[in-house]
Amino acid sequence: MIGAGALRGRAPAALLFGAFALAPVVVRDAFFLDSLVLILMWGALSGAWNIAGGYAGQVSLGHAAFFGIGAYSAALLGTRWALSPWLGLAAGAVVSVLAGCVLGYLSNRLKGPYFALATIAFAQVLLIVASRWRGFTQGSEGIPVPFRPGLWTLGVDRRGWLYLALGLALTVYLVEVYLESSRIGYQLAGVREDEDAAEALGIATRRLRVWSISASAALTAVGGALWAQYVGFVDPFYVFSIDLSIRFALNAIIGGLATALGPFLGSLLITTLETSLRATFAGVRAGFTGVYLIVYGCLLIVVVRFAPDGLSGLAARRGRRDSSRARA
Amino acid sequence: MLALEGVTKRFGGLTAVRGVDLRVERGDLVGVIGPNGAGKTTLFNLIAGFQRPDAGHVRLDGVDLAGQEPHTICRRGLTRTFQIVKPFGNLSVEDNVMIGALTRVASVRRARREAAAVLEACGLGPFRATRARALPIGLRKRLEVARALATGPRLLLLDEVLAGLNPAELGPMLDLIRRLHAEGLTLLVIEHIMAAIMRLAQRIVVLHHGEKIAEDVPAGIARDPRVIDAYLGEEFVLAPA
Repeated sequence: MIGAGALRGRAPAALLFGAFALAPVVVRDAFFLDSLVLILMWGALSGAWNIAGGYAGQVSLGHAAFFGIGAYSAALLGTRWALSPWLGLAAGAVVSVLAGCVLGYLSNRLKGPYFALATIAFAQVLLIVASRWRGFTQGSEGIPVPFRPGLWTLGVDRRGWLYLALGLALTVYLVEVYLESSRIGYQLAGVREDEDAAEALGIATRRLRVWSISASAALTAVGGALWAQYVGFVDPFYVFSIDLSIRFALNAIIGGLATALGPFLGSLLITTLETSLRATFAGVRAGFTGVYLIVYGCLLIVVVRFAPDGLSGLAARRGRRDSSRARA
Repeated sequence: MLALEGVTKRFGGLTAVRGVDLRVERGDLVGVIGPNGAGKTTLFNLIAGFQRPDAGHVRLDGVDLAGQEPHTICRRGLTRTFQIVKPFGNLSVEDNVMIGALTRVASVRRARREAAAVLEACGLGPFRATRARALPIGLRKRLEVARALATGPRLLLLDEVLAGLNPAELGPMLDLIRRLHAEGLTLLVIEHIMAAIMRLAQRIVVLHHGEKIAEDVPAGIARDPRVIDAYLGEEFVLAPA
């Protein structure tokens, strides 16, 4: 499926993921391992967002909808019917594909900012449903997810979680690599760059757009299900929040839209900043917990100004400059 | 090959195309001319499936194209270019053309090979690695043609590919169109540059206010009083080929 050519020039990714894989062997510190798990999870979720938002150019600000669907599927199946979170994960992915088709259909009618607004509304509707439907979702109280030891019940220690998160991250990364080297990936790029031209050249633009949003939704739901199990609590106001949707988009934008490694670089930077800022300021005064949001904003301004193609774009440009210098 | 019967398109109170009949046979090179706003581009939109006619039929090889989407029509062998070129700006010239080829071949590697051949044929070989948005307009027009060619059309619709070209670029583009025609491609060409289309086309259709007011060989068109009134002006004399 992925040819050898597609893997050329992927050394930075191999290095990054390799370092994550080796980390638990060297480090035992719980806080550090927790940070690594979160970096991988948010990176994978931004990578999932990148499939629709980056490669296909369908910028969604409502991907928390799919994250929430995944989280609730795993939590509800686990608590109500004592089913394995793996089944919840699969169910969440299926429901999200259906929801993704709805959103994909919307994307055929609404373009650009209007589509983004529709996605926000979509996540908000799910938030209202989840927080009001007390009988089924326990409303705004949220759902505590019980810890049951074992791999089938996803009750594993932090090192286990690191490898689960790494597995998700690698899956998403390989899907992205596939999109950079396959027929469907090139056709998606055509849809992103100019829909009319793509359509005129024989590309079924509507179907491809729905496909990209559904694939992105399914992977986001898988991430949501794993996250719910890792954190152990599903709060509707968090899992369906616009903050979360923006986080997915922001990591990808800062790291580099439509680049395979970009979302992971973005997550590495943002998640590290966030956890360290929170750790630093939370102790000082309760009012400082939001400081990381200010840093977020400043960072975004800096990136848009100095590295409009994101971190990976910056690296690529530097590489080009070096090689041209070498020639000179 | 292509047959239009009474094709009509209205936008509110304005009838952009009114009752147009047109036949293009295999191997034809037909020109479409007319003043600005005559409905030329709307006619292309109707043929290629970007807009639906309010009345009349468009048939390709006898099959009614009503309700078919542009990508299906492209796969049936009819590809169009756009007057205002629409390159995939952030992609390389080669990738642009390859995306066209991927409509026909599933393998990326084969599509890349075919793209390379099309790029050579269109004189874009030296620019294959250039980002499409960095090309000057003349080469963008050529890219527009190359990308359409890569889809392997039997009938190619060119929408003002000569407009905006400088005299040095005009010659190679005309040569390219002639060569494609000589190789057996059927072409329907909208053009504004009279001297060029008069020498290029075997037959010319003149649109005016959405209606077909004339269809003839170039020499006949140049003499047609209705065409002269509507479009050419009295001074126009057919340039010797």
